Amino acid sequence: MFERFTKGARAVVTGAVAQAERTASPQVTDEHMLLALLDSEGTRSAFAFASLGILDQRASVEAGLADARRRGGMSSADAAALAEIGIDVGQIVSKVEEAHGPGAMGVGGTAKRGWTSHKKFAPEAKKALEQSLRVALGRGDKEITDGHILLALTARPGVVSDVLADHGGTYGAVERALFGAAG
Amino acid sequence: MTDATDLAERAGDRDPRVGLRAVAALRRLLEQLEAVQVRSARNQGWSWQEIATQLGVSRQAVHKKYGRQ
Repeated sequence: MFERFTKGARAVVTGAVAQAERTASPQVTDEHMLLALLDSEGTRSAFAFASLGILDQRASVEAGLADARRRGGMSSADAAALAEIGIDVGQIVSKVEEAHGPGAMGVGGTAKRGWTSHKKFAPEAKKALEQSLRVALGRGDKEITDGHILLALTARPGVVSDVLADHGGTYGAVERALFGAAG
Repeated sequence: MTDATDLAERAGDRDPRVGLRAVAALRRLLEQLEAVQVRSARNQGWSWQEIATQLGVSRQAVHKKYGRQ
């Protein structure tokens, strides 16, 4: 699959690994891929982020990801849905942190294996990369670009797509920003 | 409009998406809470059997899920 990745797409993958290393994360996740995409300059996805106003909201995007992590992988949309049935996730997290310490509900945790520098890709990150291939195939594109990876991230349900949507980066909006109205 | 407010507004229309999303989120919340509580019990010296009894599952089930951590 990787032989079809453009230079820009490969830079996202290596950038995601660097993000994971910087934060001492046990695995490379789709969140790291999003952060790597936000870091890229002069790429199609950088253009899309700029035109959607997401580049200026980077701090808010990172805060959204951090909040979701603290809630145990629960996005603001998940929390809103739970609030609809009378469950206050914020309160649950506070109570758990009171009893078990800050970040007790958080996802991430400790490294699975030893001190090897070779980081593994989390299942959701692998699936996002597979999705980018499907996105490219679906559009009849021969190569997988950073844009396809970004679109794949918006297409997969989860914290990353929820946080992007909260900042105006829904699948439809990102697709239009990347590939124009004709899609 | 954010996804969250969008969802909240649709909830008024009894959109199944909101209810289903709540169930999915609740399932993950449950898993997180269980992990926190099991870890805490182990740190306090509880046996797998004691934890399993409280959770209402078999000792093997708890140990298989959390034993290698």
